Amino acid sequence: MDDKGFEDKIFGLVSYVVVSARNLLEEPARYGPFRLVDTASRLINILDEAGMSSDRLKAVRDKIEAGKYSAMGTEEEFEQFLETTVFFVVDAIDNTGD
Amino acid sequence: MDVMTAIKGRRSVRSFTDQPVDQDMLLKLLEAAVWAPSAGNGQTWRFVIVTEETMMKKLKMVSPGLLGDPPAVFVIAQDMALSKQKGGQMGPETLTKMDSAMAAQNIMLAAHAMGLGTCVIASFHPGAAAKLLDMPEQIVPTLMVTVGHPAVKPPPPKRLFEEVYWFEAYNG
Ligand SMILES: Cc1cc2nc3c(=O)[nH]c(=O)nc-3n(C[C@H](O)[C@H](O)[C@H](O)COP(=O)(O)O)c2cc1C
Repeated sequence: MDDKGFEDKIFGLVSYVVVSARNLLEEPARYGPFRLVDTASRLINILDEAGMSSDRLKAVRDKIEAGKYSAMGTEEEFEQFLETTVFFVVDAIDNTGD
Repeated sequence: MDVMTAIKGRRSVRSFTDQPVDQDMLLKLLEAAVWAPSAGNGQTWRFVIVTEETMMKKLKMVSPGLLGDPPAVFVIAQDMALSKQKGGQMGPETLTKMDSAMAAQNIMLAAHAMGLGTCVIASFHPGAAAKLLDMPEQIVPTLMVTVGHPAVKPPPPKRLFEEVYWFEAYNG
C-alpha cells in the first residue's frame, strides 16, 4: 500500500471514530464498547494491509471479529466476549508479536 | 417464498460477497419500498441508491452502523417540508420515521425472497450523509438499508414470545 492509500484508510477510520463520538451521545450505551473494539479491529486491518501487523495483533483482530456481534445479543454474552478479549490481550502482552 | 418464511428467515447481514446486485433487482426492491403503507398515503419518502465505490466509501465514513462492504445501499430520506404540509407537526416528527421503517422492511423482505441479504441502519449522521449526497435542506435521510449477496448466514437472535403479548388488555 502506498502512502496515499494508507492515509486514506486512516482517514476513513478517523472519520468512523469522530462520527461515532457524536452519535454515541444519543445511541444505546453498549454501542460505545462495540465501536471501541471494532476500531481496534479496523486499525489492525489497516496495519496488516500495510505490512505492519504482527501475529498477536492479527490474533486479537480475529478474536474481535469472531465475537463482536454479541453486542446485538444478550448483555451477558457481550460482557463475556469483552471480558475474554481483555484476557486474550493480556496473554499476548509479553509476546513480542514476531 | 411465503410471507411467514420470509419474515422468519430474514436476518441482518453484515458480510457480503464482492458480487454486485443487478440494477433490475435494485429496481424491484424500490418497487417493494413504494408499495409500503405511508401515513395518509403521503409517500414523502425519497430514495438514493448508492452503488458506486467512491460514494460508498464516503457514506461509510459517516455511518458507523454500516458494517461490512455491501455493494448497494438504499438511503431512505424524507421530504420534511412536504411531510409538514401533508401531515402537520406529526409528519416530520413521527410519521416520516414510521413510513421509512415500513419501506425498509418491504425492501428487506423482498430482498430476502430474492436471495439477497440486507441490514437496516440507523447509526449514521443524517446531516453529514445529506451533505455527501447533495440533498437539499428539506430532504433528510432517515434510514439506510444495505443490500448484497450474503457471505454468511447469521444465526437468528433470540425472540421473546410468550412474555410480550396479551389478549384484550395489558396484564403485565
Ligand atoms: C431501527 C433499527 C435500526 C438498526 N440500526 C442498525 C445499525 O445501525 N447497524 C446494524 O448493524 N444493525 C442495525 N439494526 C439491526 C438490528 O441490530 C437487528 O435487526 C437485530 O439485532 C435483530 O437481528 P435480525 O435483524 O437478524 O433479526 C437496526 C435495526 C432496527 C430495527
